[in-house]
Amino acid sequence: MNDIMARNNVKVIGEGDRTIIFAHGFGCDQSMWQYITPSFEKEFRIILFDYVGSGNSDLSAYTTEKYSQFSGYVQDVLDIIETLNLNNVIFVGHSVSSMIGMLASIERPDYFDKLIMVGPSPRYLNDGDYVGGFEKSDIIELLDMMEMNFTGWASFMAPLAMNHPDHPDLTEQLERSFISTNPVVAREFAEVTFLSDHREALLKSTVPTLIMQCSDDSIVPIVVGEYLHSHLKDSTFRLMEAKGHYPHISHPEETISLINEYLA
Amino acid sequence: MDERLKYAPCGYISITHEGIVTEVNQTFLDMMGYAQEDLVHKHIESIMSTANKLIFHSYFYPFINLDGHVEELYLRLKDRQGESIPYILNGRRYEMEGVEIIDCVLVQMGKRIDYELELRSAKKQMENAYWEKDQALVKLKQIHMEIEQKQQELMDINAVLVELSYTDKLTGLKNRRFVQEKLEEQIIRYGSTQEPFSICILDIDYFKKVNDTWGHQTGDEVLEKLADILISHSLHKDVVARFGGEEFVMILPDMDVHESKVKAENLRRAIANVAWEKINITVSIGVATVTPQDSDTTILKQADLALYASKENGRNRVTHIIDLNEKSL
Repeated sequence: MNDIMARNNVKVIGEGDRTIIFAHGFGCDQSMWQYITPSFEKEFRIILFDYVGSGNSDLSAYTTEKYSQFSGYVQDVLDIIETLNLNNVIFVGHSVSSMIGMLASIERPDYFDKLIMVGPSPRYLNDGDYVGGFEKSDIIELLDMMEMNFTGWASFMAPLAMNHPDHPDLTEQLERSFISTNPVVAREFAEVTFLSDHREALLKSTVPTLIMQCSDDSIVPIVVGEYLHSHLKDSTFRLMEAKGHYPHISHPEETISLINEYLA
Repeated sequence: MDERLKYAPCGYISITHEGIVTEVNQTFLDMMGYAQEDLVHKHIESIMSTANKLIFHSYFYPFINLDGHVEELYLRLKDRQGESIPYILNGRRYEMEGVEIIDCVLVQMGKRIDYELELRSAKKQMENAYWEKDQALVKLKQIHMEIEQKQQELMDINAVLVELSYTDKLTGLKNRRFVQEKLEEQIIRYGSTQEPFSICILDIDYFKKVNDTWGHQTGDEVLEKLADILISHSLHKDVVARFGGEEFVMILPDMDVHESKVKAENLRRAIANVAWEKINITVSIGVATVTPQDSDTTILKQADLALYASKENGRNRVTHIIDLNEKSL
């Protein structure tokens, strides 16, 4: 049990019969929820965590084999639920976490009560008539930009880390900042996120779902939210006044009230 | 805007919480070829590519909101011609009279980006070199393992060959070469320990007649059977060898004159008492026990003389050289 709690830096706060798991998105960690959680602490038990490779998770648990595909992250969520013996979970996932939560709920629908997706997308790349908002060249440019933004990319350690994902130097505690993000892990998380395609899985999802879509989201076009709404059974679509891709940071009040309305 | 800030040696942009540009200095406009109205009241993302928007979203918004500042974000912004210009961006969040404002300072990377790209390509080359080195090492280890395996096989084959070179093909006993080597060893050992040893030379009586009467096949069978009898009457430390033709040699370590005579006599009797298939077989035996004057050749010669005496005196008997010498004295 302690293994999972430490591995995913799991924090349990608040009190209540119902449980909310807040799951961070790409490039972030659990601290992204700090403006949201205070409003739910009194009525809910709240679970916060970092995916392996993010935040203050145990980097030594990171293997390319496991986390270069979605199933690794889905397993993180299921491990936490099973370790804490949770049920009827309300899963709030930002960005890529929406799909991670959905896939976990397809695997174990009995664990979940509701899914709340903040800025979700089942596929970021354009594909024929489908508008995801990204071209392949955008993703390549993104990976390039990321590489240039992380320390370590030009350092001597980078090639060693590439060759040896279990290298002990990776386990050093990293300060929370994009500068200190592990470049190998970040790149693989980016590839998992932005090259994924979960459109077919949408039909298998059975848990009631709230889709929260920012207006003028520069990452996820509004049509993606509409696409999700039309393909997800029992889904509710809410277009937010908030702009951008991080309403839980830029517009916490609106985010909180939409979640509350849905849970009421 | 302060005149000096307007022309400060870096780009300066202020944006709202939502990312709308409120102020931009002349330096930035000049660097990018924009006019005020191109940027002010526009979203800062309007001069970013999709990938840069994503970087900005993933690494600027969250951290400026949570930490209040962002340092050294590498970003590319589009100038008026659509060229993508690399910048280092520092941001700080201010609250003035309840209104949030984010100040950004942008330094164009210019030559610096070339250095960084060069560094990156050097790093990539190094990674490749590392990878190739690792691969080469794996291959070397593989080859090394194969060589070791081959070496082991060779050693095994060699051991078999050595064994064969010391073995008499027909009987499976040791051969003459082995006896000679063992005799040398025994002589050396005797020199240092003074522990005596003896040797017997056995010769089948009238063996030529066996071959002539019953053929070589039967002759060979007799030799093989005799070999079995000798082995069954020997200890592990004894050497039993076919010396050639119908002649056999036994080296008996630790046996003195008396013991060797008893041993030889037991052998002679055992052989004579065996129920041979077609004809009775007997052997004549010559025995010698080492003396300080002996070498490997003289002790053989002594045993041979004793054997000769056994033959002369009617065959099917044992003669120890010491008795022969006493008699002749």
